[in-house]
Amino acid sequence: MGKVKIKRKSTLIDMTAMSDVTVLLLTFFMLTSTFLQKEPTIVYTPSSVSEEKVPMNNLVTVLVSSADKSGKLDDPTIAEGKLFISFTGDADSTLSSEKIRGMMLDEAVSIYNDQHKNNRITLTEAQKNEFRTSNMIGVPFSELPEVLSMSVTERDKFMGDMTNPRVGIPIDGNKNRDQHLNDFQVWLKAIYNVAQRINNEQAEGLTAEERSQLSNLYTALMRKGQGIAIKADKDTPFTTVQMVFDNLQTMKLNKFSLMTALKSENEPTN
Amino acid sequence: MAQIEQSSGGKKKKGAQKKMSIHVDFTPMVDMNMLLITFFMLCTTMIKSQTLQIVLPTNEDVKKEQQSQAKQSEAITLILDTEYNGDKPAVDAETGKTVHNIYYYEGIADTTFSTNAYLRKEQFIGNMNHEAQGIRKILRNKNEQVMKEYEQLKNQWKNKEITKEEFDKLAKKNASDSLKTRPVVVIKPGPNTTYEGLINAIDEMNINQISRYSIELPNHTDSVLLRHYEQVNGETIIRPTVRAKATQAPAAAAASESTNS
Repeated sequence: MGKVKIKRKSTLIDMTAMSDVTVLLLTFFMLTSTFLQKEPTIVYTPSSVSEEKVPMNNLVTVLVSSADKSGKLDDPTIAEGKLFISFTGDADSTLSSEKIRGMMLDEAVSIYNDQHKNNRITLTEAQKNEFRTSNMIGVPFSELPEVLSMSVTERDKFMGDMTNPRVGIPIDGNKNRDQHLNDFQVWLKAIYNVAQRINNEQAEGLTAEERSQLSNLYTALMRKGQGIAIKADKDTPFTTVQMVFDNLQTMKLNKFSLMTALKSENEPTN
Repeated sequence: MAQIEQSSGGKKKKGAQKKMSIHVDFTPMVDMNMLLITFFMLCTTMIKSQTLQIVLPTNEDVKKEQQSQAKQSEAITLILDTEYNGDKPAVDAETGKTVHNIYYYEGIADTTFSTNAYLRKEQFIGNMNHEAQGIRKILRNKNEQVMKEYEQLKNQWKNKEITKEEFDKLAKKNASDSLKTRPVVVIKPGPNTTYEGLINAIDEMNINQISRYSIELPNHTDSVLLRHYEQVNGETIIRPTVRAKATQAPAAAAASESTNS
């Protein structure tokens, strides 16, 4: 009897092809992706048929928090109507988000100090740097120095707590454009002033390229109304959003946009 | 594929070197790539948000004679309201959407109530059975002349006779064509309206190509009309505001109440 030699089959699977595919996919995702911006609270925007996209550059976003949906709180509305603001510059130009934030912060702090002669705030260079690098800020001016001294994780935790009365930019129904501005109006005035200053080409110490970028920002903010976007939850009462509208109107920023999700409509055939 | 073979080539010599093959195992590489892909997939946004543009009038006092008065036949007022279930907006069991009601009247508010069916109730239904329904139907009929041309333009665009840019431009021109009878819509969100209700209303304006609309707060006349509607239909519309917060806001908002409708 002859011996039957069973050939040992190798179980190695060639992973080269698989590797090729994954690298391709990875490249695709890396090139097409825009990173999610970190936001302190999640809101579900209502949907509309509008096909206009949110601009990537030169955008001021105002986030209005919604009532608490976890059901853990006795009064879910305590978390409602907190305001957060974020500034996005032009990633492709010399006028980056950092620079815009710096300009806005300097302007806003000087307006605030002008309004509150007795409770002035001063920010150190390190705190200003923190502001320039953080995406969304939603605290009263009086809390700014303390919040900006926190570490990033601490700050995220602090601002993520919607029940904290120290979180959210204060807002009220003030109609006077010059006096008794609330903190939200101080920010809006800073936006308005910076945009106006750009238009008058008084911005000193800037290169010609930066100036042209600034005028893009001005057009976006003041002319086209694409510069300010309000992001609010679909179940937020209109009166809460109306307050934000009213403040924008008072500060002469009459053109703005509302963020919505895309809704598809089946067309009528008649 | 992932191996390098070294064949000695030529004739086989005695005691020739064994064929050498170097295998490179790509499995860890694939693992790592998969992890990276997962990371990128979770951290990115594929769908970008849309925006609705909105222009509010200036806050400055406008003299009465400077205000543009809309023709009575062109005016239509929509009073918005959202139904609540406890302290949450009521959701329709069938569609899963929040229930928004619209009470509308045409022309100048008739507080003498010569007809009972003065204020009428509608909802945002959108299109059903290939036809505009609910408030859309009413607005569409009001803006018939503009919509007719809009449909023509749309067909031209679909048949590739005009480009998208041309279509957008012509549609915009068409919507603000002063030679056509166009309605003037006043949107009045009531105290219980949610943000979604307002967006829905603005959306209807865009869908029906209505270029002239304004957002105002309901005034005394509107409350009178709603009260009358309640009495006739035995419904309760005017309820205490659901949200505690909502009661603080109108005090500020009420100041901007305007009566130029």
